[in-house]
Amino acid sequence: MKLRHAVLLAVAVLMMLVWTFPVLWGLLTSLKTERDVLAYPPTVIFEPTAGNYRDVLFGATSILPNLVSSVIVSGLTTVLTMLFAIPAAYALSRLDLPFKRASGFYVLATQMLPPVGLVIPYFLLLRRIGWTDTYQGLVLVYLTFALPFAIWLLVSYFEEIPREMEEAALLDRAGRWRALWHVILPQARGGIAVTLIFVFLNSWNEFLFAVVLGGNTVRTVTVAMFNFISLEQTQWARLAAAAMVGMAPVIALGLIAQRHIVKGLTVGAVKGGARR
Amino acid sequence: MRGERRFALALFLPALLLLLVTTTLPLVYLLWTSVQRVDLSMPWLSGFAGLENYAKLGGDRRFWSSLWLTFVYTGTTVALQVVVGLGLALLVMQVRLGQGLLRVAAILPIVLAPVVAGLFWRSLVLAPDFGILDFATRALGLGSFNWLGDPQLALVSVIAIHTWQWTPFAFLVLLASLAALPPDIYEAARLDRAGPWQRFWHITLPLLRPAIVIVVILRMVTALSAFAAIFAATGGGPGSATEILNLYAYRLSFTELNLGYGAAVATVLLFLTLAVSFGLFVFRKTR
Repeated sequence: MKLRHAVLLAVAVLMMLVWTFPVLWGLLTSLKTERDVLAYPPTVIFEPTAGNYRDVLFGATSILPNLVSSVIVSGLTTVLTMLFAIPAAYALSRLDLPFKRASGFYVLATQMLPPVGLVIPYFLLLRRIGWTDTYQGLVLVYLTFALPFAIWLLVSYFEEIPREMEEAALLDRAGRWRALWHVILPQARGGIAVTLIFVFLNSWNEFLFAVVLGGNTVRTVTVAMFNFISLEQTQWARLAAAAMVGMAPVIALGLIAQRHIVKGLTVGAVKGGARR
Repeated sequence: MRGERRFALALFLPALLLLLVTTTLPLVYLLWTSVQRVDLSMPWLSGFAGLENYAKLGGDRRFWSSLWLTFVYTGTTVALQVVVGLGLALLVMQVRLGQGLLRVAAILPIVLAPVVAGLFWRSLVLAPDFGILDFATRALGLGSFNWLGDPQLALVSVIAIHTWQWTPFAFLVLLASLAALPPDIYEAARLDRAGPWQRFWHITLPLLRPAIVIVVILRMVTALSAFAAIFAATGGGPGSATEILNLYAYRLSFTELNLGYGAAVATVLLFLTLAVSFGLFVFRKTR
């Protein structure tokens, strides 16, 4: 019995190493000089340098403009998404919405569209109106995955709020606004925060739309990773440092929201909507 | 309650209109593009093409190969994720120690941008000469492998990357459902002298079925829209060895600039995805 327990524990520890290894190894690599990176066998003991981070942040290949692009795109996407998603989710979860079931399915179906099927028409359409490589263009496209996701996640949180809480406030039209504003929103604070985090995280990590529809003006941090890779030479250490800087925000957000991650990932499938 | 219905519509319509404009309208335009000749390298040929693009698919060996790769990639990654994820979840249920730590470790791959996952694996793990895996196989006396340069190994590698990134998802979801199972059923089974295998087959698995179905469907949708990690690790190569439909549609449209034909390939993918999502709707209905 003791032995069995030890084996189980060993497998669990091994798994943990496998999952964390690429990121930890990336962190180590980002602290090495390019010469140490190429050492064989790979070294674990070396003199750490902050040079890569200095280059990546303030050098000729600085990714600061890309971080700014990512913040603007993800920030705007998040704000717009919440603005549209909160009322919609409230209607879907709590009100007598006509065609509720069909509407819920429609929102869910839009969440599952393959991005490559959207990027081709968007490329042609945005080019026609001169919106490629603009913030408004990219944010518009990001709404395609952010909005359905947010609506469904919020629906699942709104449905958890006890109905009696708002019934007192439900008397007339003004009462409904008040119910949404003073009862539902404060009650769903946590759910709204989690939704915000996930929408921001998904937008930050997006790559396909950013690489096709962005350009020199709007180049997000995921696209900028490729600055360090060229046919002749790859700057491994700088790439690792850039990846660390670029991923720090999402790793932090992921850790903050870790208890809610299962819910965020299974949204729409488990329960919710069209059940009234 | 006509007032409530109107109020509900007023709240829902803005989002609905926005979704119609941002998702449905482009899809209609995708279908329209797929029956056009849109070749940006030969713009003078542009025009209505009817079903020409779709007819071309039949004789396009690269298309059939990418369709096959899509099935292989989706099938193996989803199967691996479910089997490994379930195995780990069952295992972790028995080790109370360090569950929290494992949960945190599991989140790391999930929150990482797929493009970064692809780049990390390509540069730090799989690269010949200084990737850590190459070091490991050499140290074990197995020799050096060109993980991303050999067509078959490249396919194995991109499948491994995807499985690495998303198994934690299956693990976390299944762990959550395992933890929610009523413990008294197990007590009863133990009193009936059911062995561990019997308990797994006749109690755990049937109870977990809904969670497993959800994981399979959602993982299939993710696998069908996989792009960035493969793009970063192999770019679809070597040749077209890791070119699943996404990569093929992308390369056709934005490398070869033949958007009309790319749109036809993307349409095939769209219908594949819709078929899978339909499975989810059926599942939701039966519950």
